[in-house]
Amino acid sequence: MKKEMDVDDHKLELPDLEAKYSTSITKGLVGAVAAERLLRDGPNELRPPRGTPECVKFGRQLAGGLQCLMWVAAAICLIAYGVQEGQGDRGSADNLYLAIALIAVVVVTGCFGYYQEFKSTNIIASFKNLVPQQATVIREGDKLQINANELVVGDLVEIKGGDRVPADIRIISAQGCKVDNSSLTGESEPQTRSPECTHDSPLETRNIAFFSTMCLEGTATGLVINTGDRTIIGRIASLASGVENEKTPIAIEIEHFVDIIAGLAIFFGATFFVVAMVIGYPFLRAMVFFMAIVVAYVPEGLLATVTVCLSLTAKRLARKNCVVKNLEAVETLGSTSVICSDKTGTLTQNRMTVAHLWFDNQIHTADTTEDQSGQSFDQSSETWTLLSRVVTLCNRAQFKSGQENVPVAKREVIGDASETALLKFAEVTVGTVSEARGRFPKVAELPFNSTNKFQLSVHTAGDRQLLVLKGAPERVLERCSTVMIKGQELPLDAQWREAFEGAYADLGGRGERVLGFCARWLPAGTVAAGTDPEALPEVAVGLCFAGLVAMIDPPRATVPRAVLKCRTAGIRVIMVTGDHPITAKAIAAAVGIISEGSETPEDVAARLRVPLEQVDPRQARARVVTGAELAGMEPGVLEGILRAHPEMVFARTSPQQKLVIVESCQRLGAIVAVTGDGVNDSPALKRADIGVAMGIAGSDAAKNAADMILLDDNFASIVTGVEQGRLIFDNLKKSIAYTLTKNIPELTPYLIYITASVPLPLGCITILFIELCTDIFPSVSLAYERAESDIMHLKPRNPRRDRLVNEPLAAYSYFQIGAIQSFAGFTDYFVAMAQEGWWPLLCLGLRPRWEDTHEQELQDSYGQQWTFEQRRYQQYTCYTVFFISIEMCQIADVLIRKTRRLSLLQQGLFRNHILVIAIVFQVSIGCFLCYCPGMPNIFNFMPIRFQWWFVPMPFGLLILIYDEIRKLGVRRHPGSQFPPAGVLCPPPGAL
Amino acid sequence: ELLGRSHITNAFKILLFYVIFYGCLAGIFIGTIQVMLLTVSEFEPKYQDRVAPPGLTQVPQVQKTEISFTASDSKSYEPYVKNLEKFLKDYSADQQTENIVFQDCGEMPTDYKDRGPYSDAQGQKKVCKFKREWLENCSGIQDPTFGYKDGKPCILVKLNRIIGFKPKAPVNDSLPAEVMAKYSPYLIPVHCAAKREEDADKIGTVEYYGMGGYSGFALQYYPYYGKLLQPRYLQPLVAVQFTNLTYDVEVRVECRAYGQNIQYSDKDRFQGRFDIKFDIRSS
Repeated sequence: MKKEMDVDDHKLELPDLEAKYSTSITKGLVGAVAAERLLRDGPNELRPPRGTPECVKFGRQLAGGLQCLMWVAAAICLIAYGVQEGQGDRGSADNLYLAIALIAVVVVTGCFGYYQEFKSTNIIASFKNLVPQQATVIREGDKLQINANELVVGDLVEIKGGDRVPADIRIISAQGCKVDNSSLTGESEPQTRSPECTHDSPLETRNIAFFSTMCLEGTATGLVINTGDRTIIGRIASLASGVENEKTPIAIEIEHFVDIIAGLAIFFGATFFVVAMVIGYPFLRAMVFFMAIVVAYVPEGLLATVTVCLSLTAKRLARKNCVVKNLEAVETLGSTSVICSDKTGTLTQNRMTVAHLWFDNQIHTADTTEDQSGQSFDQSSETWTLLSRVVTLCNRAQFKSGQENVPVAKREVIGDASETALLKFAEVTVGTVSEARGRFPKVAELPFNSTNKFQLSVHTAGDRQLLVLKGAPERVLERCSTVMIKGQELPLDAQWREAFEGAYADLGGRGERVLGFCARWLPAGTVAAGTDPEALPEVAVGLCFAGLVAMIDPPRATVPRAVLKCRTAGIRVIMVTGDHPITAKAIAAAVGIISEGSETPEDVAARLRVPLEQVDPRQARARVVTGAELAGMEPGVLEGILRAHPEMVFARTSPQQKLVIVESCQRLGAIVAVTGDGVNDSPALKRADIGVAMGIAGSDAAKNAADMILLDDNFASIVTGVEQGRLIFDNLKKSIAYTLTKNIPELTPYLIYITASVPLPLGCITILFIELCTDIFPSVSLAYERAESDIMHLKPRNPRRDRLVNEPLAAYSYFQIGAIQSFAGFTDYFVAMAQEGWWPLLCLGLRPRWEDTHEQELQDSYGQQWTFEQRRYQQYTCYTVFFISIEMCQIADVLIRKTRRLSLLQQGLFRNHILVIAIVFQVSIGCFLCYCPGMPNIFNFMPIRFQWWFVPMPFGLLILIYDEIRKLGVRRHPGSQFPPAGVLCPPPGAL
Repeated sequence: ELLGRSHITNAFKILLFYVIFYGCLAGIFIGTIQVMLLTVSEFEPKYQDRVAPPGLTQVPQVQKTEISFTASDSKSYEPYVKNLEKFLKDYSADQQTENIVFQDCGEMPTDYKDRGPYSDAQGQKKVCKFKREWLENCSGIQDPTFGYKDGKPCILVKLNRIIGFKPKAPVNDSLPAEVMAKYSPYLIPVHCAAKREEDADKIGTVEYYGMGGYSGFALQYYPYYGKLLQPRYLQPLVAVQFTNLTYDVEVRVECRAYGQNIQYSDKDRFQGRFDIKFDIRSS
């Protein structure tokens, strides 16, 4: 990547730079020139990766596997209609009607899918342009505030602490300017920016500040050298968009399933086409049969059901702070087997907090909880009084004004991270800091710098002066001659030094940042106001050591539980961080990524007192790998390490190495979720099966590349997502099983119609009503079904083995439940026919005369004569009766699908209110279709007799009882073969 | 060994399971149907809401309800004549001789003839005779071509059989004047007229032949008792002869039966009426 950076502006002298960009480093650009350049280069903003054109997206919705089948079916209908019309056979608009209905179905479901997709991408769009960024620019000598996206190459801009760098700029002048390049390079330490060229590489040199990085402190003036997509960040972002998006597991599942369904539909259709031709039907009729079988067999409502189920879960997740960009990602989360998580902000609170103190030769633990609900330490010692005074006074950070009512932890502070931590700590433990500072006015101070490694200040305290100093513990100790223990100043002898060393090593070993504090009383007037700060260190000798304060970015309270949950759910959590190995390991241990009792090879070496090289790494469960080690590894070694150590922490890694880690996990067959926030994370986010961007800390590029956004940046939210994802997979399985079942009772009428030539028991339009109207609600309501057992105690599903739709499920739905439903339908059909005068045996072979439009006196079993129209309404009655039978059985079906192993009574019949409402709604629609006036001629529904509703009910009961027996068998003999083996044997969890 | 012994036994088990499973289902199905058939009477349908009110149909039964022939070409009308002849065979006098089956119901329309309950407790029910001679020119006795050879085609009109259906004679004032001309309170009159106004003059004279010279169905033929109790039931007929149809144009004729419980429907064009097209070519 670095090779591609052809920037050489950092090496140019200022006059050359002025010439190159024809600008002035004092007055900036002329307004007109700037406008011209803006027109030429376009606005200074990252163009979102070019999305698929909307019409293509829509087209894709209309051209799926099933949709294509429907188009073919519609075409056959139209052809049949055309031919009939051509033969002058009037009054056969049925086919035209059906063709229109089919096309409407495809278009409407297409629109629906498109709308869902559109809506979920829209959530993301709303993230952008929340606040238009402002930039201070100098043009024609005047300082202006303009929108950052109006910047052009050659503009002279000013940045100051707290600003986001508005473009790639070459620094011309700077005062103590520091930037945070972590989103670009992964370095978490602030970087100094100054006008000198310090490195050949534009990424390393100090005189270039990059677009979208943060300026932490100081000010700088610079010349814009790149804008928009031509900035370094822009180029990385466009690189990320080059990483191909892998298909989500659920997309693969559904494709797999649609292929099977389409194949079977064509197979059935073709078989019966041949059968029809052999029996002697004309070609056109046989084609219509083919079409009807396709319509009957294809689950038209399935894709809509899946989309609705997923978007319901997405909504539920959004309420829990997970915004899902890509609906299918919901399920991917459920099959996740590895989570590569960031540390800072995700596992931790992303705020330095005082964790421990050492004074009176004892380590005290401070409260690190987010809401200050933890235990405090003993504050009665005199030493504490001194230490707290030093902590309060020797601190340049201060609260922004007007926050008196805000809880301390949430107040905004001007100052760096450790000073902020100390300030808040003091405010909480001692009381109002500003008041204390008022009592001890500052006389002089020397700010922290990297050569001294300490900071000191002198304050007036009544008739004396107090010198307070804090800094790197070893440097602080050098300047001390005494140590305060329990209020007594004792000489700092070897014993105390050893105690200090021990405490320092202990705290440092916990991955904490340790600072030493000391003070000394001075006579009044020792230091005069306005003394040169550089002279102060001379005064600061023979100090009294007060104590050590250790700070850490503490883990979030919810994280350890979430990590444990992952562990029981068979999900590996791998920490990938840019931080120090020690800190990383400490946090990993604190949150449970490295479990209690697990050792790294280093721990083993220390325990056995042997050199690290003699330790077999395989003895250790845990391992911390640094970026440097990773860089030296042969390809394939990493996989070995990942396999050997279940608990892994990667420290000091660059975002590029994250990509390598993700790919290695994927090569091991894992479904990987990755969290990230920086621009450089975006390739890894894209590569991951599910990329999770941070909503607060995340950059736009990361959010663009991710599939999901955590609004609260909290790891625990991912685990919630995993749980929901698993639940939705289970529930989708139930939904699909429910949806598939009715395809058999929809298909068999045609098979019997063709082979036994009975009057048609069920029409195509009626089938479409079942598929797209009445049965949608119960199948969606299954998405609200609660988990049968604790799904977070199961291993993640194996994407190759645990399919959404498998043979046992299909066989059980089709050949057992579906078969019962078919018998129910035919029973009701024959009852309705017989009670109107057509006995079952007469129906067989009746079709040609029944459908003859010129036969107006067809005799029934009693010798009565029927006109064609009378027979047609009788046929519609049959459709309706068959429809009601399927509905009745589907109610039983949705009830049995609620559980796969548990008895219905254990799960609770009415616990899922939505499902109960859906059933009531389904029945109401059924009633409406049957009894609404006008239905016979519009949708071929007839008002049917009351008792025909009851004929299928025993079959519904049979379904319930049969499935309860099956579940009983599954529970009694887990994994046994009931019903018999092979395709029928539902392994636990298959059905 | 992919197709080892265990696979075969497995497949056998599956087969056995499904044989038993479907066997049981089929058993339940057949059982249910049998029980249902027990509740359905052999003689009287449970419901008749789909079949009533009755349809009105014609003989000869023709495709696309069109009668098209050339008077001079006997081949062109042969199918119609054969169809009429076949239909009227049951109405011949020699077919109505058995007095156990047939009953003389008089020469004039009278009231319904109820024949007791719909069961075979009293054996088969008697059937009213219908004399073919009543159809006069359209009886095929004098003219075996039913007027077709003269370009004066006959058609027979009949009301569809419905068990227990008692058509009610129309109220006087709702009828066309021609029908009123020969009114009887025991008659369901039949009348044919041009379907379209502009055809009115092309129809020419229409002759009606029926029982007692009435153009309609006499009520003593009703109700019908079904094919088990009245296997040789004779529907009352009305013969309609068009004696002066205009040649070489399509003439659409609509025939209606009139009765209080005979309705017409826009959807079902054969309910209580039908229309038929004549196209008689002069050469």
